[in-house]
Amino acid sequence: MSSINGLQFAKMVEMGSHHLHQNADYVDSLNVFPVPDGDTGTNMNLSMTSGAKETTLHAQNHIGLTAQAFSKGLLMGARGNSGVILSQLFRGFSKRIESKAQVSVQQFAEALQYGVETAYKAVMKPVEGTILTVAKDAATAAVSHIDKAEDLTDLMEVIVEEARASLKRTPDLLPVLKEVGVVDSGGQGLVYVYEGFLACLKGEDLPEKTVMHSMDDLVNTEHHRSVQGFMNTEDIIFGYCTEFMVKLDSDKLLDMPFDEEKFRQELSELGDSLLVISDEEVVKVHIHTEEPGDALSYGQKYGALTKMKIENMREQHSEIMDRELTNAAPEQHKYAIVTVSMGSGIAELLKSIGASAVIEGGQTMNPSTEDIVKAIQEIGAEKVLILPNNKNIIMAAEQAAEVLDIEAMVVPTKSVPEGLAAILAFNPEATVEKNAQVMQEAASSIKTGQVTNAVRDTSIDGVSIRKDDFMGIAEGKITSSEPSLEAVTKRLVSSMIGEDDEIVTIIYGEDVTEDDAQEISAYIEQQFDHVDVELYAGKQPLYPYILSVE
Amino acid sequence: MSIELKNEHGTIDMTNDVIAQVVGEAAIECYGIVGMASQHQIRDGLTEILRKENFARGVIVRKEGDAFHIDMYVVVSYGTKITEVAYQVQSKVQYTVKKMLGLTVSSVNIFVQGVRVTNV
Repeated sequence: MSSINGLQFAKMVEMGSHHLHQNADYVDSLNVFPVPDGDTGTNMNLSMTSGAKETTLHAQNHIGLTAQAFSKGLLMGARGNSGVILSQLFRGFSKRIESKAQVSVQQFAEALQYGVETAYKAVMKPVEGTILTVAKDAATAAVSHIDKAEDLTDLMEVIVEEARASLKRTPDLLPVLKEVGVVDSGGQGLVYVYEGFLACLKGEDLPEKTVMHSMDDLVNTEHHRSVQGFMNTEDIIFGYCTEFMVKLDSDKLLDMPFDEEKFRQELSELGDSLLVISDEEVVKVHIHTEEPGDALSYGQKYGALTKMKIENMREQHSEIMDRELTNAAPEQHKYAIVTVSMGSGIAELLKSIGASAVIEGGQTMNPSTEDIVKAIQEIGAEKVLILPNNKNIIMAAEQAAEVLDIEAMVVPTKSVPEGLAAILAFNPEATVEKNAQVMQEAASSIKTGQVTNAVRDTSIDGVSIRKDDFMGIAEGKITSSEPSLEAVTKRLVSSMIGEDDEIVTIIYGEDVTEDDAQEISAYIEQQFDHVDVELYAGKQPLYPYILSVE
Repeated sequence: MSIELKNEHGTIDMTNDVIAQVVGEAAIECYGIVGMASQHQIRDGLTEILRKENFARGVIVRKEGDAFHIDMYVVVSYGTKITEVAYQVQSKVQYTVKKMLGLTVSSVNIFVQGVRVTNV
């Protein structure tokens, strides 16, 4: 057959739909993505049935019009994700051949390809390892086979073959499939449709439901569903996963004829996740039960048992949980943050959010380059970010970074709050350069204020200062000076808070009592109701208050 | 606004942004969704598709009593069965929010703000 007309195409569609219909339950059982609700087969079947019905109704010699009817039927009946994708695949397909009375091998392949392109355009983020991938691979194979194809049947063989191969690869592309151990359900549905097409072209009959091979997939999906349901090992009610086959014994069947429905019914009282598949000779059973012995004895009434497998699911489950816990354990200090501060409270605070080492130092007691290098070498880090937290230490830190023979960069933070903001932006997955950049951005996004006392009479930035007054410094500039610590702090904070600010962090020093700090905090929250205040005991000398606004 | 959950260990706060991100990511993976759109397209001057960082403009989380509702604004692809695509988004969003955030959403309301016609 070198070309087909509308009537032949209608037959193909009918056969494809029939084949999918036969296997819809199996497709359902594979459904774990995007939502594991086990309805892909049902949905695709309904979509395809609607398409096939419309095609049969409007079947005519002109293939373009027949395909249009198919496309319309699919669109109207589209159900579920895969159903919608199927309708898109054939919408593109039919669009491409709408004016053709007959379609050649080449045109058929191209139309498939066009269908795939159409389908891909309808989604922002195509997920690979799904029906889309299977359709794409099959169409690509078809197009590259055009010149070699003897006729349409030959082309369809190639399509089916590649679709099957692509389906097998879906678990490599979509992790959830691999985890469960199944192939993609929508992809499988499409393979059935194509198989139907091929059988029609060959004039063959398709095998009726393929039963036994599907048990493993059924078991896998059933397990996936139950694993997802349990958070704790103790929640498992039926602890043994029991699988066995019964070779039906004709003698035993004389007094007790085998009835699958009854068999299923009676077994279901022993547990859950029950699966029963049977033909004339064997019954395959999978059940989760607390009494595996009873299930086996029950099966034995009908014949000899083979291939028995019983697993303790509580053990398996706690193993999985343990493995997840171990995986979560953090890596040791390969990637370190070294920072500088005064006051044991601040050092603790810095460490609690991720600093590997805090070098004691700051205003009036700057650590040397050597101090910094030593601290880093003690950690034994491979990559390090240095946060000086003071204008006067940036130079020393930069020298230290040069001296070190490991990857090191300085984030030039000028105050403790900047350092805190920078550490919070740290991402252990990112490169040193990237971190340095992101952390610098975080540091500059906050406003820093400090309160300290004057050591002599002077006038700076237009503010006259007397010895022993307290000075409020915002972003390195002195903004106010008053004899009362409380007043100057309140004034400083008030001047710094803008409309978009949400959080004020106050780190109070060793000379300030917690009550005093609480009072300032209460004052701020009262004055600015859009602001939250966080209070920390920094125990730093010289600066009664260090604060940040962001 | 944020969603606050209480359990015996304390409270968990999730900002609207976080939920919008989770919901938006789930939605754009759905077949037939071209992207997220803004709730107030004219006011925000964003007539087209939202970028990831702006998902919150198109995902509104409301709490009424104990029930959570999500309103979301999307752009779909021309030629798909829009009702079905919307239904898929609802189901995927409910599933994802339940799985990732442990929240049961009472309703997911889809507002189709646009249809993108591609050149086919």
